[in-house]
Amino acid sequence: MKHFSMSKTIIQCILFLFTLAVLIPLLNILAMSLSDPNRVNELSGLGVIPKGFSLINFEIIMSNPFILKSIFNSVFITIVGTLLNIFLTAITAYVLARTEFVGKRLVLVVLIAIMVFEPSMITEYLLMKDLHLLNSYAAVILYKAINVYYLFILMRFFQEVPNSILEAAKIDGAGHFRIFTQIMLPLSKPALATLALFYGVYHWNEYFRATIYLSDPNKWPLQVVLRQFVVTQDNTTLLKGVEGMTPELLATLDFGSLQSATIVVAVIPMLLLYPLILKYFTKGTMDGGVKE
Amino acid sequence: MRRKSSLKHLRKDWILYLMLLPGMLYFIIFHIIPIVNMKLAFQDYKIIGDNVWVGLKHFHLLFSSPAFKDVLTNTVIISTMKIIFIFPIPIIVSLLVNELRFGPFRKYVQSISYLPHFLSWVVIAGIWISLLNPVDGGANVIRNFFQLPSLDYMTSKEHIRWVLVYSEMWRSAGWDSILYLAAILKINPSLYEAARIDGASTLQQMRYITIPSLMSTVITLFILNLGFFMSAGFDQVFNLMNDSVLSVIDILDTYVYRIGILNGQYSYATAASLFKGVIGLILILGTHFLSKRITGKGVW
Repeated sequence: MKHFSMSKTIIQCILFLFTLAVLIPLLNILAMSLSDPNRVNELSGLGVIPKGFSLINFEIIMSNPFILKSIFNSVFITIVGTLLNIFLTAITAYVLARTEFVGKRLVLVVLIAIMVFEPSMITEYLLMKDLHLLNSYAAVILYKAINVYYLFILMRFFQEVPNSILEAAKIDGAGHFRIFTQIMLPLSKPALATLALFYGVYHWNEYFRATIYLSDPNKWPLQVVLRQFVVTQDNTTLLKGVEGMTPELLATLDFGSLQSATIVVAVIPMLLLYPLILKYFTKGTMDGGVKE
Repeated sequence: MRRKSSLKHLRKDWILYLMLLPGMLYFIIFHIIPIVNMKLAFQDYKIIGDNVWVGLKHFHLLFSSPAFKDVLTNTVIISTMKIIFIFPIPIIVSLLVNELRFGPFRKYVQSISYLPHFLSWVVIAGIWISLLNPVDGGANVIRNFFQLPSLDYMTSKEHIRWVLVYSEMWRSAGWDSILYLAAILKINPSLYEAARIDGASTLQQMRYITIPSLMSTVITLFILNLGFFMSAGFDQVFNLMNDSVLSVIDILDTYVYRIGILNGQYSYATAASLFKGVIGLILILGTHFLSKRITGKGVW
């Protein structure tokens, strides 16, 4: 039985317009980056189809050693950072969720206090300075080695693992570390994958700590370099060191398109992971009731 | 007796403490020490030697500074605008999405509207600066279509706060509707069935079933939002800021960054941070207990 409903049609129209409002600015950037630089000025600010087609913007960006280095830096920080995050979060969550020890209550109270009161960026910066971590990746990676919200999400997950499994292992003589590595971790693969995505997205998108902790531009992640182009409008770095750059070639380029191409490069990993992100983030957020 | 058994446990469970050690070291070094070090707000920072206690000197400077007053005013205005104009949007989105049947269109709406949440503010700033370009940006294409003159939104003191509101809305309207949608899905379907049998329209079902059932989620999230009132969205402002509009969108955190990290006035900046932290703490604790009284549920 199908029946036409006026209000449902209106709702569909409103939501469709809403998705257009989200999509068009994104697709416009993509269209700009793929347009022929000589014809990009024909592209309307709301246009989503490239004018002509050219990969020159991406070729230039990918031949800029500074940008390539920054992509590598971002990948490095994201992978090492996420691995460390997962290890520290999981091992801490296991002890807090599945064992009793002297001082546990105090630890939990302190963790809640940490969630409520953030330190000043100034004292955090001075701490990195005192630890001689300034201008090292360690500062960027260690700064958020454990996210307390994610720690609590994982603790809740660990608490749901049936006691009988752990008891059986204990009777077989397994110690806490063996129970953690050989039972808890394999059983929690979906939860760990979710957290890896949470942390991975955080690291890939992080720019501020990298901006203040890393003074050597060769250590900058892609987001900081991108910020240099689109926020600070620094176009010289965009072209520095690009091989085969001639004044003739330069004259044919469009800076807006080059910036767009850099934005696209910064978004691509997110888009590749987006199906996974949708699946896990949506579930994680709905289950945990935590917004981040 | 008790003590003895604790000691026994300590010896037996040494591996447990060893497993806990890295996490605890992390929290102590990177959270607790920088919080304790915020005592710097009551000291003069010395590059060599110990810091000197100066009491409330930096707070006196702070509260007598016209710049700080402007920054505080901007923070309050921007946060208030965001709460008034952005907070209701995800609720509306969730109510609308809820009316869609489970199927490809619903999936499309959700996938697209969640996407901006996963982009960094650097990327979003890039997209919005291009969208608001005074020459050929999308916003001005629309203005020109309606015969209105082009505007340079990014450098206009009159418009930049609205740019903050709209770009935040663009980023979070979809994603923030998730929690409401989750709450709606928990509503007992028999309520709707009974209403339909009684002849209630879609709108009436929304008005008398969905919205009342959402109220506790709405209150909890509203209170949670108030808790972040003093932050006003640092990453957003930091990336959309430029010299022409600095005076109207400079907020507490950007001020701390500028005078502290850039100008090296560490003690003064820490005093501003501490002020923000204490107000934020009062708001969070206050709203937590308020939430407990109203909804019976705390924020954490």
